[in-house]
Amino acid sequence: MLKILVCVKQVPDIDLVKMDPETGNLVRDGVPSMMNPLDMNALEAALRLKEDMGGEITAITMGPPAAEAVLRECLALGADRAVLVTGREFGGADTLSTSYVIAKAALQLGSYDLIFCGKETLDGATGQMGSQLAERFGSSQVTSMSLIKSLDMEKGSIVVEREVEKGVETIEARIPCLFTVEKTNYQPRLPNYRGKKAARTAEIITLGPGDIEGLDAKLIGVPGSGTIVPRIYPPVLPEAGQIIDEGSAAASAVKLCAILAAEGRI
Amino acid sequence: MDKRDYKNIWVYIEKNDEQIEPVSLELCCELRKLCDVTGDKLMAVVLGACPEAELEKVKNCGVDGFIHVEGTGYDYYNTEAYANAFTVLSEKYRPSAIFVGGTVNGRDFAPRFAVRLNTGCTSDAMELVYDEKTGDIEFIEPAVGGKIMAVITLPVLRPQIGTIRPGTFRYEPAGAKADVEHIYERIDFPVEDIRTKILGFTPAESDSQLDISDAEVIVCVGNGLKDEASLGRYRELAELLGGKIGCTRPLFDRGILPYKLQIGQSGVMVKPKLFLSFGVSGAVNHVAGVDAELFVAVNKRADAQIFNYCDYGIVGDMDQVCDAMIAEIKRMRS
Repeated sequence: MLKILVCVKQVPDIDLVKMDPETGNLVRDGVPSMMNPLDMNALEAALRLKEDMGGEITAITMGPPAAEAVLRECLALGADRAVLVTGREFGGADTLSTSYVIAKAALQLGSYDLIFCGKETLDGATGQMGSQLAERFGSSQVTSMSLIKSLDMEKGSIVVEREVEKGVETIEARIPCLFTVEKTNYQPRLPNYRGKKAARTAEIITLGPGDIEGLDAKLIGVPGSGTIVPRIYPPVLPEAGQIIDEGSAAASAVKLCAILAAEGRI
Repeated sequence: MDKRDYKNIWVYIEKNDEQIEPVSLELCCELRKLCDVTGDKLMAVVLGACPEAELEKVKNCGVDGFIHVEGTGYDYYNTEAYANAFTVLSEKYRPSAIFVGGTVNGRDFAPRFAVRLNTGCTSDAMELVYDEKTGDIEFIEPAVGGKIMAVITLPVLRPQIGTIRPGTFRYEPAGAKADVEHIYERIDFPVEDIRTKILGFTPAESDSQLDISDAEVIVCVGNGLKDEASLGRYRELAELLGGKIGCTRPLFDRGILPYKLQIGQSGVMVKPKLFLSFGVSGAVNHVAGVDAELFVAVNKRADAQIFNYCDYGIVGDMDQVCDAMIAEIKRMRS
């Protein structure tokens, strides 16, 4: 049976995160969390493959206990089991240590033929997790994968399309393979009522640091991270430009056109 | 690991159809300046054959030397041979930092060999500063959708790996050094161990409307756009001015415009003569992608950050301003 792993992340809706002008700190209170949008495309790609070929989808995430919500979304949409990796010790991890923990946890529960990740997250936006997980799993990888064309389990290979700057490559990859998925062809579906209802009470496998065998404490959380963020600061804004105010939007627009014409721009 | 044992800064020279990617040259130019501060040597790493004329361009950016890698596995880009080459080279020569252009392929293999070397990898820094006290490079980049600037460092591990987006740094060659060192390495990656094979390539349809990097006039619409139906007037304005339309990330997320039109650090970098921005809040990672001669912003919120980046601004309804501009330009021309 085809075994599929989908890696997802709960992220804050960053468009709603505000910065405290006094302290320079981010204000996340009351900001809703959601499944990282591009992870929805990864899940969709996995679901369609399962519909065609059969198989079992495991969804995994690392985060605070509340991140369980995105796993229930995955279950509602058709994932078969869900794994939450959680614990204070994992906090403050960069991609180096996160990829280590997720791979360790996932491999403890089984092996995978195909692994799907979103292309990048809304909050960190490093786009590194896919490649780093592939290294941890020892799998081949195709990043920016936009379409699965065919899967040949006997031959152990999969043919996909990959979006690069100047066009689209057709690539044959050996299984196991990890993909980061483009949204082009995998618009996410909506959950149905039955799915949502079942997901509400479904069991979620929860793994803490003590539950993952052979986990090296030096490689998790902050100690296991290669990068740190010693400081953040508000962006230095340039001086505001000249505001044109002629009383109404239309009048200001006319004035703007006159200025642009005088400067030879239009 | 003692980070003081790690010296010199490397740039991966990426090729595409026998030509060196501009981002590799941009990196050489910027890192020349950094190496002058740190005292490191700037080394260009070339995998496989590269035309001499192209290598001259690299030399002209002021590199101190080249590491030429010969062997099997480099005929076409693949994660495995490329990640392996950098792992082997890094273990042998112990560079302090390795920079890779943030192209689709650069972003594919750099994080992978970073894990293999058990070191940290940063992405999309906009500024690089050397901290003399710690000996670390500060990678400075917008974070959380551009609401803050974050300083990222690797306090312990080496090499420091960074991918940098094309267009982030300027191509300003410092001129060739009198003495340029050449190191030749043979690293064979067995071709049969490459687990991905390129079966075909379809070039993107050459829709010139989707190539905005060199457009002289850009009309950029942001999340203030009500719906797809409202887009028509912005297309008309762009057409009137002989320009092209662009957008910010939320419009791509909303499925209204394609990714190729997304302007900013994680999209396209643009350098138009005239940039007209409508309904854009002005997050740093968007405006970082705009290098305009004249910048106009329209937003209904007077406190929108975009007004800090414009030459001229109008506080008001974006659709009304756009409609009035179209009417006025038509009137002026009639």
